[in-house]
Amino acid sequence: MKKLLALFLAVVMVLSLAACSSGNNDATPAASTPQSGSTAATQPADPKGTTATYDGSKVTIRFYHTMGSNLKAVLDTYIEEFNKIYPNITVETTTIGSYDDVRNQIGTEIPVGNQPNIAYCYPDHVAMYNLAGAVQTLDEFINSTSTVQRADGTTEILGLTAEQKADFIEGYYKEGQQFGDGLMYTLPFSKSTEVLYYNKTFFEANNLSVPTTWEELEAVAKKILEIDSNPECVPLGYDSEANWFITLCEQYDSPYTSAVGDHFLFDNETNRNFVKMLHDWYQDGLLTTQGLLGGYTSNIFKEQKSYMSIGSSAGATYQRPDPAADGQYPFEVGIATIPQVDPANPKVISQGPSVCIFKKDNEQEVLASWLFVKYLTTSVDFQAEFSMASGYVPVLKSVAENEEYAKFLASADGGKYISALSAKICLEQKDYYYTSPAFNGSSEARSQVGAILTKCMPDTSSDIEAVIADAFKEAVEECQYQAR
Amino acid sequence: MASVTMKEQDMRSVTARSRAGSVLAKGMTYLFLMVMALIVLFPFYWMINSSLKTLAEYRLSVPTFWPKTVIWSNYAEAFTTARLGQLFLNTLLVGVVSTLLSLVITVLSAFAFARLEFKGKNVMFGALLATMMIPGELFTITNYRTVNDFGWLNTYTVLIVPFLVSVCYIYLLRQNFLQIPNELYLAAKVDGTSDFKYLWTVMIPLSLPTLISITILKMMGAWNSYIWPRLVANDAAHQMVTNGLRNAFKDAAGDQTNYPVQMAAVALVSFPLFLVYIFLRKYIMKGVSRSGIKG
Amino acid sequence: MVDSKQQWKAWIYLAPAIVLLLVFTVWPIINTVIMAFQNDYNAMAAVGGQTFTIGIENFKRAVEYRNFLTCLKNTALLCVITVPASTLLALLISAALNSIGPLKKALTTVFFLPYVTNSIAIGMVFAAMFNMVRTVRVVQTAGIINNVIMFFGGEPINWINAGSTYWANMTVMIIYIIWNALPFKILILLGGMQSINKQYYDAAKVDGSSRSRILWRITVPLLSPMIAYVVITGFIGGFKEYTSIVGVFGETMGPVSDKGRLNTMVGYIYDTLPRSDYGRASAAALILFGIILVVTLINLWVSKKRVHY
Repeated sequence: MKKLLALFLAVVMVLSLAACSSGNNDATPAASTPQSGSTAATQPADPKGTTATYDGSKVTIRFYHTMGSNLKAVLDTYIEEFNKIYPNITVETTTIGSYDDVRNQIGTEIPVGNQPNIAYCYPDHVAMYNLAGAVQTLDEFINSTSTVQRADGTTEILGLTAEQKADFIEGYYKEGQQFGDGLMYTLPFSKSTEVLYYNKTFFEANNLSVPTTWEELEAVAKKILEIDSNPECVPLGYDSEANWFITLCEQYDSPYTSAVGDHFLFDNETNRNFVKMLHDWYQDGLLTTQGLLGGYTSNIFKEQKSYMSIGSSAGATYQRPDPAADGQYPFEVGIATIPQVDPANPKVISQGPSVCIFKKDNEQEVLASWLFVKYLTTSVDFQAEFSMASGYVPVLKSVAENEEYAKFLASADGGKYISALSAKICLEQKDYYYTSPAFNGSSEARSQVGAILTKCMPDTSSDIEAVIADAFKEAVEECQYQAR
Repeated sequence: MASVTMKEQDMRSVTARSRAGSVLAKGMTYLFLMVMALIVLFPFYWMINSSLKTLAEYRLSVPTFWPKTVIWSNYAEAFTTARLGQLFLNTLLVGVVSTLLSLVITVLSAFAFARLEFKGKNVMFGALLATMMIPGELFTITNYRTVNDFGWLNTYTVLIVPFLVSVCYIYLLRQNFLQIPNELYLAAKVDGTSDFKYLWTVMIPLSLPTLISITILKMMGAWNSYIWPRLVANDAAHQMVTNGLRNAFKDAAGDQTNYPVQMAAVALVSFPLFLVYIFLRKYIMKGVSRSGIKG
Repeated sequence: MVDSKQQWKAWIYLAPAIVLLLVFTVWPIINTVIMAFQNDYNAMAAVGGQTFTIGIENFKRAVEYRNFLTCLKNTALLCVITVPASTLLALLISAALNSIGPLKKALTTVFFLPYVTNSIAIGMVFAAMFNMVRTVRVVQTAGIINNVIMFFGGEPINWINAGSTYWANMTVMIIYIIWNALPFKILILLGGMQSINKQYYDAAKVDGSSRSRILWRITVPLLSPMIAYVVITGFIGGFKEYTSIVGVFGETMGPVSDKGRLNTMVGYIYDTLPRSDYGRASAAALILFGIILVVTLINLWVSKKRVHY
C-alpha cells in the first residue's frame, strides 16, 4: 500500500512540475519563430519578381534527398559543374532514408530553425511545412529579371527565361501550384508515372490489341481467360490501389479532394459506381492488385500468370522476365499508356520527387538555393544523365533532344533496354499528367481511398452496394477525423 | 526455503524407475531446446539466406529457402559501398563509451536503491518507473531542441549522453542487488570498508551475469539505434552503422532499397558483436559459484 | 533507521542519473503534458505563430475517435496474452539450458544469435511464412505455415491477407511478439539463474527432487525478482506495441481488407505525426500512461506478495 501511495505521489509530482512550467510555455515556440520582416523569405509573394540578387557571397546550402550512392555520384558531378560558375556556393548533400524519413526529419528541425535549404518533397510534406510558413514561394524568383554575375564573367537572369519555363513538362510544373493559393512552392525534380506493361509476345500470338479504354480492357481480359485455362491466370495486375482510385476520379472528372474548403469530396455516385465495377471485375477473376494478391503483381506478370501489369514507369526492370541461360528473355514486354475513360482526354498520374526551398534568415542562402535548384531542374544534361541512371523521366521536354538521351531512347526495346522503352512512353504522354490537391491530410485521403478498394473488391456479400456505401462513409469520416 | 524439504514418500520413490525417467527427461529437454533453437534461429538463417540473393529473387512472392545462385559479391559490395570502416569505428566508439558510462551510472543508482535508506526512496523509484510508461515517440521533438540549445548537434556527445540512463537497466540491477543479503553490507560497514570497495569486491562480482547482460543489451542498442543518430549527427564524420547502411544501398532504379546487399552489410557488422559475445559468454556461463547470494 | 550520512550519499549516487533524466526524459514529459492541454496543438502551426487555447479538447478528441476502443482492445489483448506466455516459455528454455551438460555452450550461443539478427529480417520472415499469394479463383502459394498444416491434413488458413479473420491476425501477432520477446527474457532469466547459489541445487539433488520440482520449488522462487522484472517491464513495453504489427502488416495495421483493424495506442499516436498533430498525440500518450500506471501498480502489488528477495 505504501508503494502504491508512493507511486501516486510521484505522478502528482511530475504533473505539478508540468503545471508550474506551463505558464511560460507560450514564450517557447514564439522565440524560435523566424523574425518577420528581416528576411527575403517572409516577404509576401511578389508575382513581379524580386529585385534582390545573389551577390557572390560565400554560403553553404544543405540539400536533403533520398538518393542511393549511384545517383548521388551523378549529383556530385553536377555540383562540381555548378561550382565552376558559382564557386562560393558550397552544396552539402545528405541522403535520408525514405521520403517519409525526410518529412519527419524536417518536421523536427523546423521548430528550431535547423531545416535544410533544399529538400526532396512530396506535396503533402510541403503542406505540413507550410503550417509553419517554412517553405519559400518561388514565384518571386521565377519572375525575377535581376542579373546574377557568374564566376566565368558571364551573367544570367535570376528568374526563369520564357524558354526555360516552357521547357518544363506542364503537368509536372503545375504540381508546384497545387496548394490552394495558386502560388508556386516546388519545382519538379525527377518524375515517374504509371504505365501498362503487357506481354507483347502473347498479345501478338493471340491477335489481341492493347486496350486503350477500360471497356476494351474488360473485353481483352475476358478473352485472355478464354485463351489461358490455367486457374492461376489473372489477366491484369494493378500495383497501387490508391493510384487506381485517384486516377479513375481524374479520368471520370469526378471530385476527389480539394485543397481548400471541404477537403474530402470522394464519396460520390460516380466513384461508388467505378468501385462496384472493379469489384465485379475482381470477382470475375479479371484482375488483382498488389494488396489483394499478397505479392508484387510484377512477379505474376514475369511468371506469365498475368499478361498485363500496371505499375510505376520507374520500375520497368521489375516487370521484365528473368532471362534464360542463353540470355534470351522468355517473352517481350510491351509498354503503353494505361487504359482511359475518355481516350480523347487521357489522364495519367504524376509521381516522383519535387524539390522545395526553405526560408532562411540569410537572404543570400535562399537565393543561392534557388540558383542551385534552377540549375538542376533546367540543366538538360543533368536531367538526361539522372534519368538514365534512375529510371525516372526527365522533367524537361528538350531532354529528348539531348544526344546521349536520344541514343538511350533509340535503344528502347522490350527486353534489355526496357527502361528506355518506359521512358519513351512517358515522354509521349507528357500532356496527360494530372496532379491532386495537396493539403495537410492529403496523404490520409490517399491511403483511405486505397483501403476502399482493397476492402470492397474481395467482398462477397450479396448487398455489395451497401458495403461500398459504408466503406466510403467510413473513409471520409476517418479522413475528417485525422485531418482536423 | 521450506519448499526444499521433501516428504518421506518422495524420497523413497527416487529409485531405478526414476533413473530411466531421468534419461527420458534429459532427452525431452534436449528435444525441447533443439526445437526452440530452430524456431529462434529462423530469422538469423533468413538474414543470411537473403543476403546471398539477387534483388529479383528477394522480391519473389514465393520465397526461396536457399538462393538459386549464391551472390557472394553482395558482401563485397556492402563492404565497399558503405564506407563500413568509418561507420564501424564510429559505432564502436559510441557503443563502448556509452556502455561504460551507462554501467557506472546504472551501478551507482541501483546501489542507492537497493542498499541505502533515504527519504523519498520509494517515490523516486516509482517516478523512475513512471518515466518508462510514456511512449517516447513524443520526446524526440523536445530533445532535439535541447541538444540544439546545448550546441551538441553533429558531435559524439549527442550520440552518447542523452540515452546514458536506462531506467530499465537500473531496475534490473536493483533486483539483482536486492538478492545479495544485507548482512554482508552491514558486516562490511562494521569492518570500515568503504561503499566503493564493497561495491567493487562484493556486489559487482556477485551480479556479473546481470552486468554482462546489460553490456550486451546496451551495445546492441548502440548498434541498432537509427532514428536519433540520423536526426542529430548525420554528417559523414559521425554517421553510425545503421544509418550508413540504410542509406547506402539503393538499387539501380534509385528508389528501392537493395535489401540483399543491406542484409549482407548487417551480417558483416553483426559479426564483431558476435565475437564480443563469445568472449563474454565465458563469464556469463561461469556464473557465481562463490557463496554469499541468498534466495 | 535512516541516518543522515546515508541520505546525502544516496543522492550523490543518484545524481548523474537524476540530472540526465531531468534533462532528457522529465523535461520532454513536461512538454508532452503542456502540448496535451493545448486544444488542437500542432507543432508546425505553433512555429507559424498560431496560438492555442488551454483545455482538454485533445483528450476528448482522442476518446471520441471511433476506433479508439479498437486500439485499446488490441493493445490490452496482446499484452495480457503475450507477456505471461513469453515469460513462461523463456523460463522453461532458460531452466533447460541451465540443467544440461553437453552442448550447453553451443546452445546458449544459439539462443543469443537473435540479438545479432537485424530486425528487418525478423519482420520479413513472418510476412513470408504466413503470407498467402492468391487470386479469386485459386491459391497460388499458401505459405510455409499452411504447407505444414496441409501436410498434417488440415485446411490452409488465411492468416494475414485480404479477408482474413481477426483471430487469425491476432494469432500471428501473438506468435510474433512472443518470438520477438524470447531472446531478451532468456538472457535476463539465464543470467539470473547463473547467480543462484549452486548449493541449493546440490541440496535438492541429495534430496532426489524431480526436475520439475526443482524448477518450481527452487529456481522460480529464487528467481522471482528477475521474473517480476521481466513481467513488469514486459507489460510496460507490451502496452507500447506498434512496430511488430507494422512488421507483419505494414502501415495498414491490419489486413488490406480492413485497414487499422489491429491498430494500437502507439499506432494511434504515430498516425498523427505526419500532420504534426502533437496535441492529440500527447493526450493519447498520457491516457496510455495512465493505463500502464494502473497495470504496473497492480503488478507491483502482486509482486510484493510473491517476490522473495
